Amino acid sequence: MKVSLNWLKEFVEVPVDTRRLKADLVSIGLNAESSQAVGEDIVLDVEVTSNRPDCLSHYGVAREVAALYRKRLAPLEFICKESSAPASAEASIDILNPKLCARYCGRVIRGVEVKPSPDWLVRRLEAVGQRSINNVADVTNYVLMELGHPLHAFDLTRLEGRKVIVRSAKAGEQLQTLDGVSRTLVATDLVIADATRPVALAGVMGGEKSEISDNTQTILLESAWFDPVSIRRTSKSQGLHTEASHRFERGADIEMAPVALDRAAVLIAQLAGGEILRGVIDVYPSPKIRTFIELHRSEIQRVLGAEVPWEEVERVLRTLGFQVERRGTEGWRVTPPSFRQDVERKIDLIEEVARHYGYNRLPSRVRPAPPRLIAGQTRNKELEISSTLVALGYREIIPSAMIDPEENAKFTERPPVPLENPLSQDAAAMRSSAVPSMVHTLKWNLDRYRSDLRLFEMGRVYSARAKGLPEERRVLVLGATGNREPASIYSAEKKIDFHDLKGDIEEVLDCFNLPDLRFEPAAAPYLEKGSAGRFVSGEAALAILGSLRADLADEYKLRGRTVWLAAIELDALLSAALRQPSYKPISKFPPVERDFSLVIPRSTPYGRLQEAIRGLGIEELRSVAPVERRLPGDKELPEGAIPPGHVSLLLRITFQSPTRTLASDEVETQSRRIVAALGPLGVQIRG
Amino acid sequence: MSESETENRIPPKKARSRSRMSIDDKTNKTLKDLDVKTPEAIGELFAELSLALDSERQHLIGEGASDDHERAQKVKALRDRWLARKGGQVSLIDENWLKKAPKELKPTVGRAFNQLRQQSASVETEQLLQDVPIRGSATAHPETTKAEFGVGRPSVDITLPGYRRPLGSIHPVTRVMREIEDIFLGLGFSIESGPEVESVYYSFDALNIPESHPARDEWDTLYVNSETVLRPHTSPVQIRAMKKHGAPLYILCPGKAYRHDNPDSTHATMFHQVEGLAVDTDITFADLKGTLEYFAKKFFGDKIKTNFSPSFFPFTEPSGELVISCVFCGGEGCRVCKESGWVEVMGCGMVHPEVLRHGGIDPERYSGWAFGLGVERFAMMKYDINDIQLFHQGDVRFLEQF
Ligand SMILES: [Zn+2]
Repeated sequence: MKVSLNWLKEFVEVPVDTRRLKADLVSIGLNAESSQAVGEDIVLDVEVTSNRPDCLSHYGVAREVAALYRKRLAPLEFICKESSAPASAEASIDILNPKLCARYCGRVIRGVEVKPSPDWLVRRLEAVGQRSINNVADVTNYVLMELGHPLHAFDLTRLEGRKVIVRSAKAGEQLQTLDGVSRTLVATDLVIADATRPVALAGVMGGEKSEISDNTQTILLESAWFDPVSIRRTSKSQGLHTEASHRFERGADIEMAPVALDRAAVLIAQLAGGEILRGVIDVYPSPKIRTFIELHRSEIQRVLGAEVPWEEVERVLRTLGFQVERRGTEGWRVTPPSFRQDVERKIDLIEEVARHYGYNRLPSRVRPAPPRLIAGQTRNKELEISSTLVALGYREIIPSAMIDPEENAKFTERPPVPLENPLSQDAAAMRSSAVPSMVHTLKWNLDRYRSDLRLFEMGRVYSARAKGLPEERRVLVLGATGNREPASIYSAEKKIDFHDLKGDIEEVLDCFNLPDLRFEPAAAPYLEKGSAGRFVSGEAALAILGSLRADLADEYKLRGRTVWLAAIELDALLSAALRQPSYKPISKFPPVERDFSLVIPRSTPYGRLQEAIRGLGIEELRSVAPVERRLPGDKELPEGAIPPGHVSLLLRITFQSPTRTLASDEVETQSRRIVAALGPLGVQIRG
Repeated sequence: MSESETENRIPPKKARSRSRMSIDDKTNKTLKDLDVKTPEAIGELFAELSLALDSERQHLIGEGASDDHERAQKVKALRDRWLARKGGQVSLIDENWLKKAPKELKPTVGRAFNQLRQQSASVETEQLLQDVPIRGSATAHPETTKAEFGVGRPSVDITLPGYRRPLGSIHPVTRVMREIEDIFLGLGFSIESGPEVESVYYSFDALNIPESHPARDEWDTLYVNSETVLRPHTSPVQIRAMKKHGAPLYILCPGKAYRHDNPDSTHATMFHQVEGLAVDTDITFADLKGTLEYFAKKFFGDKIKTNFSPSFFPFTEPSGELVISCVFCGGEGCRVCKESGWVEVMGCGMVHPEVLRHGGIDPERYSGWAFGLGVERFAMMKYDINDIQLFHQGDVRFLEQF
């Protein structure tokens, strides 16, 4: 809302400079962001919140300024010089739908001369962002900006039967509005009609047919009150937002209707001549009466935490137009004015008091909340996971959760959650897999010459359900490509591979107490076949990992890079307990290491060797570690050292007892048992 | 020789002599004097000796010698310490422990002693002369055991960068969110969350924003269908938490929210909010002011000034806006604060009685305050970031700065 300072001063004295005025307006909730000089005037840009339609006018802002500086607000008195001919003989008004149009006031002015407005009027309208049209139309706009009440002027001779009928539209009725658009109306639209057809979209915009033209001589001035919900519905369904609809849908002042009408009639008579016919045609079937609100002093104290003096409460409310009647020593009966439809309850009154008393004058105190145990908090677990990942070199990302549903389908069979009004096809649904977001982010960086990447996201995936809200699951996605460590004087470069990612996931899983954790082959639509695996705890699959399918990588133009991906079920992980450390005494006896140089068939996975060895239940077994793995044809080995279809594996096994130094013959015995247990797996001892 | 090298040389020597003393102490006594009565204790005692033998040998190898003569001397000293016929550790053990052991422990002591004697072959003169290297300088660092350090001391270019393993990083939005959480956790608040795909009822109606009110238009909302939206703010969690826990309630609800906004440098379709809510029997506007002033000073620094101005939100009344003095110019006026010296940081207010009622809480008995803030906006202010799009692109050149 643009506010002209000169215009404002017609209603109230402003005892401060502009800078101060702006700051003071902000302090009472009128956000005066900026101001600029327009000729000899200064125009403020005031942001009016949607609950305060009364401040969408100069007079409304002047009322707040009067309360702010304890100045007198000029009263509104407009005296029309009426002729003796009664208006009611020239036009008739009929409201068929009094719920949606509670009041309709009309005046008839005869013999006007439609012509350009005088300079002062043009300038004022331009200062507040309105274009001048002609003297009659300009007056209606002027009164709108001044008093906040929308008016409309009809060419009375163009109204069939000189009639105004306020009614609901008939579905399919046509109306050409002033913006030149031909509109098809629906039954919920409220219209102003003459005897035969709609002539205006009530409270939103007039029609072209009945528009004031240069030849117009007799006008019917409309000043009405329309139901906010109805105006909002029509404005939305017609996609038409106007100064009038903006005010009506927020709630116009029903008592302002005849006042604004008189103001406009006086101005028109002054600028366009003509005679104002006798009387206002005022159709107001059931006048609205506001009831009082009881306000107790203790309630002000209870909400604001401060005792505001009696006089202060009364002064604020009275200067804002409220009727205040003191009730004993307890409080007041307060009747809000007709222009304050936003005030319905005690709390609304308390806000008015606080607003003008000053938020910054109210006390403040800080107290901690009473301590309270709440089960199921997962924050510590999340911190544990993310700090582990950061230590492992992963950077956190927070990509958009919106996706092209077709792309989503390449990654999962779960249905995503499509949006009704997406901004673009790229973001037409809520993802049901977070993996594509990761692939996008890896690509973004690869395209920007960053090639060693390890990223993680802790986010959600969404999938539609037949009934109720969609399912939301929390997931942790890892993405990695390039080198684990770049080449430097300290180390050679080392490419990230499957086992890097597997080990990183193991570190994360290791934060938790996960019973019966195992690793097994797995498959996912986006992972390369045959080299994907998953971690399972009990019945629950916790994590799947592998490399992005080569054809998908090509589709994403990943520059021929191998991209490693893992999707971890965060909900499952967070429902597990964090692993509680439990101390085991450190053995004081020396460990004994034995190396086993093995030749094993390629078809025998390492996991089976490990199972076989662990299966022996050797109490002194501390660790089993694969130290070196070589393939046939290894140049450091003699020709044929490894038969085709086999690999050699150096296995280092450590024994240690908590209670004694192990004798060499004991270690030998256990070593023989281990070799024997590996035999059935086709394992041979080399050299 | 620099001072630091001199200092470095001293502590290991001390440490060594201390441990030698304690072994010597033990081998000069009998098992009875040492109160060693069980096979386990004997095992431990011998394990200690075995470790001492090995570490003294390793130490000598690591230390090396400056020439043949010094090597011969050092080798002899260590060999004699363990293997001298008279006073060597091995013979002391034979004398004081094995020979004087009670009958029932003799086999155990004998077995352990044999193992130790086998191990002690590693400090025979011949073996040690092979193992102990000759270093270029007599001032070789005595503490290190790695050959290249001692030899290469003069050639180490200490100005080369340190060997840094790549670490990851936490997203700035997460950092800011955690910082906010920490402040409120410190005040005894707890953390709540709710669905991002939310019902229209929880997103609007329960928050006192009926369909018919123009205020509803202030949330440009992404719809799933007529009853379901992507939550345009984290406020629905307020209602869910009230229903779930009742009063008193002190909670923080961090999370994602969505708007039908075309992305530009200040608008993102997806962003993060933190919602705070306190409901109790004696909460007033003073608690709202005090707590948020405390929070703002904790977060932005205690030099900032705070200011509250009235505003309108359908779910609070009275409603306000917390404004702080600009963190960039200190209130002088700059580009960030549009020359005003002040920056709006969050909306807040006393919880509207209707909202309490929707949450199943009696507004006659309880009152509350609430706030909502944009995390990206906070991060932009904190780290001087000028484009909100950076947060969700995942560009490593951005992420690695945090
Ligand atoms: Zn500034």
